[in-house]
Amino acid sequence: MDRAWYWKAGLILAVTVLSIWALVPSWTYFRLPPDQRNDSTVFNGARPKWAPGKHLNLGLDLQGGIHLVMGVEVDRAVREKAVRRAEEIAAEMDRKGVKGVEVRGDPETGYVTVTATDVGKAKEVLAEFSDMYTRRSSGTTVELGMQDSAVKALKESAVEQAIKAIRNRVDQWGVSEPTIAKRGDTQILVQLPGYSNPEKAKELIGRTAQLQFKIVDDNDTSLTKLTDLPQGVTLNWDRYNGPGDAQVSSPYLESKDRRVLQEYLKGKAPAGRTFAIGLVEDRIKRENSYRSWMLDQKQGMSGEYITEANVAIDQSPGEGNRPYVQVNFNRTGAELFGKLTRENVKRRMAIVLDDTVDSAPVIQSEIPGGICSIHLGGLKPVNEIREEAKALVIVLKSGALPAPVRILEERSVGASLGPELIRRGSMAALVGLLAVLVFMAFYYRFSGVVADVALVLNGVVVLAIMAAINSTLTLPGIAGFVLTLGMAVDANVLINERIREELRAGKSIGPAIKNGYERVFWTIFDGHVTALVAGFVIRAYGSGPVRGFATTLIIGLLASMFTSIVVTRAIVEWFASHGRLHKAVSF
Amino acid sequence: MEMKYFDLIKSGTTHDFVKYRRVAVVVSLIVNALVLLGVLVWPGLNYGVDFAGGTEMQIHFKKSVDPGEIRDLISHVGFGEPTVQRYGNEADNQFLIRVERIALLTPEKARQIEDSVRQTLQGLQSFRFDPEVGDKLDFFFKQPVDENALKATVEKLGSPVKEVRKLVAREGEAQEYTVITQGTGDKIGSALREKYGQDQVEVVRTDYVGPQVGKQLRIDGILAVVYAIGMILIYVGFRFDFRFSPGVVIALVHDAIITLGFFLVSRHEFNLTSVTVILTVVGYSVNDTIVIYDRIRENAKKHKGRALRDIVNLSINEMLGRTILTSGATALSLLGLLFYGVGTIWDFAAAMLVGIISGTYSTWYIASPMTIWLEEHADQRKAIAAAQPKAKKPEQPPRAAAAR
Repeated sequence: MDRAWYWKAGLILAVTVLSIWALVPSWTYFRLPPDQRNDSTVFNGARPKWAPGKHLNLGLDLQGGIHLVMGVEVDRAVREKAVRRAEEIAAEMDRKGVKGVEVRGDPETGYVTVTATDVGKAKEVLAEFSDMYTRRSSGTTVELGMQDSAVKALKESAVEQAIKAIRNRVDQWGVSEPTIAKRGDTQILVQLPGYSNPEKAKELIGRTAQLQFKIVDDNDTSLTKLTDLPQGVTLNWDRYNGPGDAQVSSPYLESKDRRVLQEYLKGKAPAGRTFAIGLVEDRIKRENSYRSWMLDQKQGMSGEYITEANVAIDQSPGEGNRPYVQVNFNRTGAELFGKLTRENVKRRMAIVLDDTVDSAPVIQSEIPGGICSIHLGGLKPVNEIREEAKALVIVLKSGALPAPVRILEERSVGASLGPELIRRGSMAALVGLLAVLVFMAFYYRFSGVVADVALVLNGVVVLAIMAAINSTLTLPGIAGFVLTLGMAVDANVLINERIREELRAGKSIGPAIKNGYERVFWTIFDGHVTALVAGFVIRAYGSGPVRGFATTLIIGLLASMFTSIVVTRAIVEWFASHGRLHKAVSF
Repeated sequence: MEMKYFDLIKSGTTHDFVKYRRVAVVVSLIVNALVLLGVLVWPGLNYGVDFAGGTEMQIHFKKSVDPGEIRDLISHVGFGEPTVQRYGNEADNQFLIRVERIALLTPEKARQIEDSVRQTLQGLQSFRFDPEVGDKLDFFFKQPVDENALKATVEKLGSPVKEVRKLVAREGEAQEYTVITQGTGDKIGSALREKYGQDQVEVVRTDYVGPQVGKQLRIDGILAVVYAIGMILIYVGFRFDFRFSPGVVIALVHDAIITLGFFLVSRHEFNLTSVTVILTVVGYSVNDTIVIYDRIRENAKKHKGRALRDIVNLSINEMLGRTILTSGATALSLLGLLFYGVGTIWDFAAAMLVGIISGTYSTWYIASPMTIWLEEHADQRKAIAAAQPKAKKPEQPPRAAAAR
């Protein structure tokens, strides 16, 4: 045994042990009853402390659930924006004293037509609207359209907005491990594993998000009197400078589990008050938790009066170009907002989207005139403030420009189908595997058994890698897995047939093994790499089930190269060097 | 040394594969042309909702039902010609129901609804209906209207309403209402429940694919296949020789078409998973071909001076055991899927089996003889070039002829 062999043996041992270690949490996961295994507290409680936290997931087709692709009607948002822009242009003309102007926004085409007696002056004003360009200009009429860059930004924010609203609602239902992601330019992919209420899922798009401003009650201390806080719920305090610069300390409850907090607070609000939940994001730890807010039911206004929300830069001295959020209201909104802020100076105003508190800035003074500035973040770095400001703008715009969303694709799998499919799928895989194992052992005897060891290890490694990268196992995935078995068998057949040939040519066992492996290496390599190339292409261009197939195919091929080339060789070499091969062993 | 093994194929077989190449090529060409005609002209593949768009439902009945009756019922509800297929065993009482339409509304129906709304409710300014979308009606009113009244008006004309959505609008602007009518899935589900009893019908799975997504999935599927084949070609070209690429491509296109033929002849649904099968067959076919080419390359070096024809034959024969073993083992691994799989999974395994057989055949009779043809073709060109009187070089080196 040379030194290289020991290195190889060490590597194989390490891979085996690591793989088994990576599969421990999956073992725990599948031992839990299906309705509990997705609850992270139950899972973490059952999992051995030394094991990793990631486990194999079952795809929607195996555990039931809903898969939705939604399209955001971004064009509508763009057209509507043009209509608003027309109003703003009219207002600006009025302010600049340009008389005899008529501005009309067409909701069908999204173009703005300006007719003016003094076109020259009107054009001067129009030049200020840098997000518009002149489509046509004839006589006293100018037709404007939105700039491509402005349209693009608008579309992006419409999709962001829709994602925000969807995430908010899914969050409220307590679906574990949902997927909510942007797909393409205007589509949103939503996957709710284990969730089987398609009617409720349609609520996601059923209504547009409701934005509200509510005043926070920071004087009530009834929370401090509660003595039966559930596990994981803690009492914390907010501190800020309130009326007369006196420090206000306001109690709130915090928990990692939204449902626990929600259930506990039910019916505990004093008269005229209500509890709302807000998300507390910990960007560093990447761990979210939820907190309670006590809101005054009587004071507040709807967000539908917002006409525009933007991130602006504070250029006043000493502010260091800090970003802040600027919100514009229409006339009715300006009156309501003026009144609300006048009556609640130095109190906090919660910005509530669909019953979830996004944030609650302190009202510094009365805000008349319908233009409100929200400053964020205190001493945080500018980048972080800019991100927060962008997020807040998305929330605020939900009140102004809701982009309708519709379902483009919907696949729902009832929970009853899952277990049956899992049973069938695993039976199929097992029968396939067994048939191949028996065949190999029967045909090749000793080296067949060696190949079988490699095949089983191949399966373990594939599952372990899938668990480690938190991948999902789907039905096409199982099919892909069965197929990599075929490739692994091919590799072993190639090696063994080659060794037989070398033996037939009169070589002794040692050189025959060496030649067999070395000659066949590139053949196996080429076969696997071509399949890998196909796998990566499928992953890149395929969708849905096809991608699941490609993932297992890729992992399976990589594992197969390792097990059929490295592992079997190490085993065979060990037997060869210990002189046992020629007795009871065959190829 | 005692060697305990047996050979499936005795070493030293000398079956003349190359001899049959002309017959094989003619037969393959005819079969391929027939499949392509079948796919493109008539009768076409039985496309599933993934590609055709529409609604597919898997329904489990608690009692035995007649598929013809289901078909009649659904077409009576207004879905034209639905596809109703048994899923799994007869005892399972499961059916796949597929309708092409995703919504019930036709442009005529939408116009009727518009007229009715205009008469019943005041101030309808404009109306929009997109037949592509099919289940959504947009109404613009001068002033706010009662949502329930709007719903009742639409429902009176026989289109159940799922919801009425008021879109945010400000005073003085057109008030927009969106009415979403009941989708196909709900409609079929409720019709079946009405007929067979509330607790007798279980909707196991619903797939709804809108026309937009269907188109996108179709494009994605075609792109995946085309790019995969292209990348494989490039790889084979670099690793071997671009001379080998045409043989590999012809073999894999052949196998892809034969696999397509399985879906054509069996009339089983062609969906995203079927694309997966085609891709797998392509990968398998290339692997199979490459292994033989590898051997041809090795033997060409070993037996310099022998006719390529003999080398190809020798290589195929030497690898005969391996090819049969590997195909057999892969087929074995599909056994489980064939026994326990239903629907899509069974189709996957069966099509794969067809692909494996086709892959083995094409390696022996199509891809390997292709190399001979290409070589002969190259020789001929050289010979013609040599015979050209205009050729400036007086004499072509006789290398080309000597190579044979």
